[in-house]
Amino acid sequence: MWAIIKKEVKSYFLSPIAYIFIGLFLLMSSIFFYLDVYVSGIVNLEYMFYSLSTILTFVIPILTMRMFSEERKTGTEQILYTSPRSITSIVLGKFISAIVVMVVCEICTLLYLAILMYFGKPHISTILITLLGFLLLSMAYIAFGMFASSITENQIIAGVITIAGFLVIWFMPGFYDKLSIFSLINVFSNTFPQGIITYQAITLFMSFTILFIILTITVIARRKSVK
Amino acid sequence: MIQVKNVTKKYGSFVAIKNFSFEIKHGEVIGLLGPNGAGKSTTMNMLTGFIEPSEGSITINGNDIVKNASEAKKSIGYMPENVPLYLDLTVKEFVKYMAELKFVCRKERNKQVEEIIKETGLQEVENKLIRNLSRGYKQRVSMAGALVGKPEILILDEPTVGLDPKQIVEIRELIKKLGKDHTVIISSHILSEVSQICEKVIIINKGEIVAIDTPNNLENMVDKNNSIIVTVEDSENKIQNLNKKIKQISKIELIKDNQDGTKQYVIYANQNIDLRKTLFDILPKENITIFELRKSEPTLEEAFMKLINKDIEGGNENVGNN
Repeated sequence: MWAIIKKEVKSYFLSPIAYIFIGLFLLMSSIFFYLDVYVSGIVNLEYMFYSLSTILTFVIPILTMRMFSEERKTGTEQILYTSPRSITSIVLGKFISAIVVMVVCEICTLLYLAILMYFGKPHISTILITLLGFLLLSMAYIAFGMFASSITENQIIAGVITIAGFLVIWFMPGFYDKLSIFSLINVFSNTFPQGIITYQAITLFMSFTILFIILTITVIARRKSVK
Repeated sequence: MIQVKNVTKKYGSFVAIKNFSFEIKHGEVIGLLGPNGAGKSTTMNMLTGFIEPSEGSITINGNDIVKNASEAKKSIGYMPENVPLYLDLTVKEFVKYMAELKFVCRKERNKQVEEIIKETGLQEVENKLIRNLSRGYKQRVSMAGALVGKPEILILDEPTVGLDPKQIVEIRELIKKLGKDHTVIISSHILSEVSQICEKVIIINKGEIVAIDTPNNLENMVDKNNSIIVTVEDSENKIQNLNKKIKQISKIELIKDNQDGTKQYVIYANQNIDLRKTLFDILPKENITIFELRKSEPTLEEAFMKLINKDIEGGNENVGNN
């Protein structure tokens, strides 16, 4: 799996994708830092992540849409699937490499924490919990984006499916109240940025992530027998 | 080494491969022949574990390609048809990645990558991005990817397609060299290539195996009709009446009217005799000048055409390609 992670991370940084993703993410976080922290004069980084969680809907597809669809379109999937590596390790390798790019983004946001610490006394444990929650949310989103990428060879379609899926997750409580416990973004904003970790939230994020990783593996394995 | 037992591949109700069974022994160089859409690539994709057979089993070195995929795939080096490569990697990075994918241990990795780059003649371009390479070099990179990990079996899908004549000769030489210590399976529709390289040929048509034999045996399968090919200058067109003078001639057929005034005919004998001597004697007496006179030799191409299309008569194709 290590070989795949290494190669995938390298591919992200050799192509403009990682730079576009990180650039956009940091641009939005600096805007939110200005609006949520500087303008309102609160020493509180959690609000910034609360706003940033909405941005994930539009930036995660940049990271995930090419994952499997590009391999399928260019035929390089033949190289991967005829190697002695299992489908599970290929899927996990790609998934972890996208998480690595996300972690790089989160590390960059620590700069804002340093700024806050210089001017005031932010609540460190809440910020750490927020960062953890944000990572869990990103993992669930990346797993979904990866799944979308595995079902089509067209990157654009994969991207559109991903955004559409995230929008449904985002707005579904508006249509039916009781669905709000399944709305990842809703659950995130009600827990982690307020310094609360609940089993319900962690279970939801983890099961969503695992579900879509398993679905991706199933889709690829199934295609081997029907292709 | 490779055992294929009753393998069938279906796409919905369409049967792409029907009940394939064959065995490939260690060190054999096998050619997979067939017209487009016959099922060559499907067969190769199943042998490499890229797709799974609907029925039957494929065993590589005793390991089932579906049930024990990882072990089975370790003995295979595969060069896919359209040479898919990671274009944003350099040649060396790609070969190294392939080595990592194939579990080549860290100690041996660099040494093996160097060796294979040298063996496939890629030293000059090893630090270039694959994106910037010519088709011939890309083919070599794909070959290097297949060779890394020192697999015992090499499966090469149309390895010379899209190459210029010089590159074709080079790749063929490389395959011949590799055939000495590997089991090689190549698919091709260039028959001369297969008869040059392969010891055994599997001919496929419409998803079924039509023949498995050596190129020589297949060539001999074509009925010998003792036809003679003759190119003559015959202004009075006397040759058409030759069968009245030589009773053994059954048919004379014009195949080519050359611009220089000569004509090429194929002359069939009605008995199992060689007409060459008689023709050499008679034609000059009839005031017909011989430019060329030879026996029509059966080729793999003829055998192939005969096997996949029973309606086509043997002699014609051979002549048409001369």
